[in-house]
Amino acid sequence: MPSTVEITESLIRDYINRAVTDVFKTMLGRVPTFSSPADWVAGEPPKPVGPVHRPQVVGTVGFIGEVNGLIYLHLDLDFARLCTRNLLGMTEAELDEAGDEVINDAIGELTNMTVGSFKNGLCDSGYPCMLTIPSILRGTNFSIEPTSSVVRHVYHFDCEEHRVVADILMKPSE
Amino acid sequence: MRYKVLTVDDSKTVRIIVRKAFKPYDCDIIEAGNGVEGLAVAAKETPSLILLDVTMPVMDGVEMLTKLKSDPALKGIPVIMLTAEGGREHVLKIAKIGVRDYLVKPFKEEVLIEKCGRVLDLKPIAEAPAKARSIFDPADILIVEDKPAIIQQIQEGLRHTPWKIKGVGTQAEVLGHCVHTTPDLILVSLSLPEEAAFTLFRHIRTGIKTKYTPVFGLVVKTELGQQQQAQTVGFSAIITKPIDMAELETKIAKAMNLDTSLRYYSMEGDVMVMTLPENCAPAVLAEVGAYLKPKFAEAVDSGYNKVVLDVHHVKALHMGIIKLLFQAMQTCRELAIQSALVGHAQIVSECKSFEDTRGWTFHDSLEDAKASFGRSSPQLAAVS
Repeated sequence: MPSTVEITESLIRDYINRAVTDVFKTMLGRVPTFSSPADWVAGEPPKPVGPVHRPQVVGTVGFIGEVNGLIYLHLDLDFARLCTRNLLGMTEAELDEAGDEVINDAIGELTNMTVGSFKNGLCDSGYPCMLTIPSILRGTNFSIEPTSSVVRHVYHFDCEEHRVVADILMKPSE
Repeated sequence: MRYKVLTVDDSKTVRIIVRKAFKPYDCDIIEAGNGVEGLAVAAKETPSLILLDVTMPVMDGVEMLTKLKSDPALKGIPVIMLTAEGGREHVLKIAKIGVRDYLVKPFKEEVLIEKCGRVLDLKPIAEAPAKARSIFDPADILIVEDKPAIIQQIQEGLRHTPWKIKGVGTQAEVLGHCVHTTPDLILVSLSLPEEAAFTLFRHIRTGIKTKYTPVFGLVVKTELGQQQQAQTVGFSAIITKPIDMAELETKIAKAMNLDTSLRYYSMEGDVMVMTLPENCAPAVLAEVGAYLKPKFAEAVDSGYNKVVLDVHHVKALHMGIIKLLFQAMQTCRELAIQSALVGHAQIVSECKSFEDTRGWTFHDSLEDAKASFGRSSPQLAAVS
């Protein structure tokens, strides 16, 4: 068992930055840049990605073990479609034919890889934990509110003209 | 036998990516969405390799792996984990159950193929129906040489070919190049520092895309030790410096299995023309001679029965050329083909000095030779 290190905001920021960058670069050939969410108020849910009326696709995967939490990856529908096409080598027409299920699955998998990469950092820092099965939320102008007290961190990543938001909810250690 | 690769992953996305990655290779991809399905498909299909995710509904990858390894009929199937679960402790735990390799998501398709290529002898499949490539088709040739003058010399010497010749100086550049383009042939200087040529050769031979790529060693003529070492490890050919460009071109064409007959044989209307080049070195004559019977037979098979033997490019006659011309005329007789010769004054004069060739009649041009078929008896009569 590796010796544990304290889970600080800086550690979380470092791990999520590495995870998002690694996944988008490796799987999509796109290099996202970390940008601080200037308009985010600590503890509040993130603002919608892009204009409020634009449909959002949000992938979520949890991690359970010595440390517990959930990460939501927010993308607007246009970027979710683009990511899916890049990932699977599909044309716009092929994606239209394949339908939303394929987009959901692709974003679920990108989230799974991102959260996997994030939580592998936690594992190697002395907090063994396992991933949960991915799920997808879709909608327009919605926010996600946790029901119990959690520590929330929101990070923005700019990827060309698109934005990805990582919303991290972690249960405080007992 | 085509390999079967079973991908067990609850994500359809991953299964599509795996299928896409294996598309250029001679193998079938079969799929399962969880451990229960995975075990059932493995028992039914006996795949050559299983790619296994960890986090899946119904039955996860660890449970499937444990059951697989406890089944005498299935435990021999190699398994590569392909999962986002990459914590050190976790990897060690799974490795103890028995896996060949462990690939943590996110992953590049090339890395997946490279890891699978260590377990299976994956062979690329031709995208189009197999068609013999000719000397006039483009090809990518990579030279690995730390002396720019040699690279330039080869590029200059082979400028007349349609081959794209790129020079690099280090092993890292080769590996970077091969990620994007698989060269048709690689020339490696055996004098690279620290025996880098031999290290590189091993990389090329273990690379899934390059394992069948011909690799030539470039070496100074007197460096016999390096030549022997290269032959022992399996270099496809050795090219000695100073480089004989004609020899290099011939060896490249042979290694790439190129059809070089178009250099010497062509159809001009209803006449087949066999043209000898200016430089009729023994290797060239051997090449022309090797294609002679099949090309003449091909002409007859297509309904043509006239052949022009064109030696007007040849600077001076020698016994090798005379023997080849006799062989060509003999083949024409056997196939009942009319033939005619084209040559310049010096060739005609040289032929007069040999007993066997004194009676040969030459035409000044191809047009004259072709016109002669309509008005005269076959040339063969004169030489028989």
